[in-house]
Amino acid sequence: MARIFGIDLGTTNSLIAVMEDGRSRVIADPVSGDSLLPSVVALAPDGKVFVGDEAIAMEPHLSVERDGRVSAVGFPGGEFGAVVRSVKRYMGRGGEELADEDRRRYTFADLTGAVVRFQVGARTFTPPQISAEILRALKARAEAALAGETVARVVVTVPAYFNDGQRQATKDAGRLAGLEVVRLVNEPTAASLAYGLNEKAEGCVAVFDFGGGTFDISILNIKGGIFEVLATNGDTHLGGDDLDRVLVDALLEGVPDTVRADRHVWNSARRVAEDAKKHLSEAASVELKLDLPDRKIARTITRAEFERMAAPLIDRTLECCRRALADAGQNAREIDAVVLVGGSTRMPLVRRRVGEFFGREPLCTLDPDQVVALGAAVQASVLMGTQGDLLLLDVVPLSLGIETMGGVMERLIHRNTTIPTSTTEGFTTAVDNQTHVDVHVLQGERELAPDCRSLARFKLGPLDAQPAGVPRIEVTFLVDANGILNVTARDERTGREHSVDIKPSYGLTDDDIERMLEESIDFGEQDIEQRLLIAARNDADQILTALEKQLREYGELVDADERRRMGEVTARLEQARRGEDRERLSKLVEELNEITTPFAERIMDRAIKLALEKKSIEELT
Amino acid sequence: MIKCQACDREQQPRLLCAQCGAPLGAGLDLFAALGLPRKLTIDPARLEQTYHDLGRRIHPDRFASKSVRLRDASLRATALLTRAYRTLRDPVSRGLYWLELNGHKLADNNKSVPADLAEMVFEVQEQLADLRVARDGSGGEAERLRGAVDERRTELHRMIEGGSRELVQNFARWDAHGGANGAGRDALVMELKLVLSKIAYLRTLIRDIDRELDSAQAA
Repeated sequence: MARIFGIDLGTTNSLIAVMEDGRSRVIADPVSGDSLLPSVVALAPDGKVFVGDEAIAMEPHLSVERDGRVSAVGFPGGEFGAVVRSVKRYMGRGGEELADEDRRRYTFADLTGAVVRFQVGARTFTPPQISAEILRALKARAEAALAGETVARVVVTVPAYFNDGQRQATKDAGRLAGLEVVRLVNEPTAASLAYGLNEKAEGCVAVFDFGGGTFDISILNIKGGIFEVLATNGDTHLGGDDLDRVLVDALLEGVPDTVRADRHVWNSARRVAEDAKKHLSEAASVELKLDLPDRKIARTITRAEFERMAAPLIDRTLECCRRALADAGQNAREIDAVVLVGGSTRMPLVRRRVGEFFGREPLCTLDPDQVVALGAAVQASVLMGTQGDLLLLDVVPLSLGIETMGGVMERLIHRNTTIPTSTTEGFTTAVDNQTHVDVHVLQGERELAPDCRSLARFKLGPLDAQPAGVPRIEVTFLVDANGILNVTARDERTGREHSVDIKPSYGLTDDDIERMLEESIDFGEQDIEQRLLIAARNDADQILTALEKQLREYGELVDADERRRMGEVTARLEQARRGEDRERLSKLVEELNEITTPFAERIMDRAIKLALEKKSIEELT
Repeated sequence: MIKCQACDREQQPRLLCAQCGAPLGAGLDLFAALGLPRKLTIDPARLEQTYHDLGRRIHPDRFASKSVRLRDASLRATALLTRAYRTLRDPVSRGLYWLELNGHKLADNNKSVPADLAEMVFEVQEQLADLRVARDGSGGEAERLRGAVDERRTELHRMIEGGSRELVQNFARWDAHGGANGAGRDALVMELKLVLSKIAYLRTLIRDIDRELDSAQAA
């Protein structure tokens, strides 16, 4: 069976890993030797796409020439091509949710739609499409490194605090990249798997995951191979990007807004800030320098100053920790181990504050940039059935509910409920002869519907005309192991399944994705499930044709009983060949292969014998 | 009767197929899902062990490469198992569920205040209202009120602990009683309902406090 790979689709960097000989390892680029692929995508005006370091080179920035002149280079956006960084921040969000800052940095096509669209020339790109390019680059890297092994099935990690729409967008990205996303795994949980397997961590573990764009805290109980998440909390818009911004603000203090808004200036400032931030993890102070066309900026910032500016951001992470502990029913001092994950935990202030909060030295024995991908590979091997004793029990991060009369959110599934989980709710009509019931699904912790995140709307029906309150429809809300909601409805009286036509509030519809797949000329983008089914059908055709021919030519080599058994399996296979069940099809091909093996061997024997006879005759003559 | 998606065997509803062990999980009550008798007393350690053992066998992770129908069966069976474990692990929700199974469902949104709690509930609501007002004003007063509410929270937790002990005794008495008919039975059900609704009410109160403290913090 094809291997399943683990992918960490990060805000700043992405990685691909696989399990080999009982240990997971990150697959480095065979040419450059890099493990991390920068999550930066350049969309050239001619339609070409670049990912990683190549894309960074095309990012708009200021270049200082040898004679000291400063010029603007790179794709500035819009008709001139765009370079998108931290696309993860835009996953599962709608156009109207974009802030002024976003609009300064990128050119967007649609500021009202259910999904953000980046404008490049005459084309537009959604965040799942851009993320798909990163996934495709990782796939290509792994396939090149592994001498032609195909990467078709993957586990992709997501922030634990990602909502339903953000998770769905990540799955969409996989589909658009021609990958089957077998499972989404929460990043801190993946990290705990890597620690549990490699460092034998046990007991109550807190995973503090502070990445490039997102923050998660998960409290787990690890016991005898069961990784049970007790509670999770976080902020999907809090990470290293925000630490950079603190330094950008300090660097550009006094610079007019119009200059600041320039994409070349901003990106150059961001690069200077990012380097400075990394230096400040080692050095006591650093000089930030930026050459603008009309002036040179130089500013020295000490670590103490930076820590003072960053403190409010760290406070926010600890506030999340406090909430997660309360939900887990644990005391900070009862935690057996605290694990640091994500590049932002390299900051000494973070380590110090986390240590103080939990009253113990945090662990970071595994590379904080790699640990999530390593854990994703562990979960991939669990799904392949090669880690029989491990089991992950994760939770839903945010409560799910529906809007009830008066705009109140009624919680149906509470946050931190173990997944998969389901609940059923009865619906009926409010007025006579009502033919449809509208249901609005929400996610969040607030009391009022408008304060929660709208997930989707769906219509139940059509219903038979009846007096109000008579129809009884039972709706099942099921959150699967990916943390994604599925809705089914049943008429309680007739037991008949109702169709549920779900319209997601944010993100792509199935039709959108189909269209994107059709539009793409790349064969690799075809729906993977469909491709696998076609491949399985081809296998079936091949063996059926071969067997028919062999029986015709060498029929005397099989006895009646053998022929009867072959006939039986052949009939079942021919039937499955017309169906859609790939698993059954593959199984039957295997079965037929197995029972015809002795026959094939006999044919081979006969052929060899004939060849030898022929040879001896030739030798004689 | 339901049909196993793995081996096609028809059988009575259960969590695992009697023939091949694949997940079935249809139309089961939560005690049956965990293979437990309908008793109120449950050993938490054994309950967790059973949950983990069954989880290992039916979880979707074990069926990632199987047919769509079998994956679906695994998903539904695991959702049921999880709900069963969560409901029965907690003595209060276990008691409420048990009452429901036996035709004594407590009202969904039990808004009526148990008589012996009325005075305290009134005080708590007043404290929370004060805190809401003080939040926008000077820091010192809000700080003092937060402290008072926090103390109240600890007190409520103590009351719940007391109630839970009472509940466990009730459970033991009921199980010993064997669920027989008669006058004793009705009295026991009444008693059980009373303790349960009191604890449920105290929990709601704590949730209100937590929410208020949370938004006070955020402000």
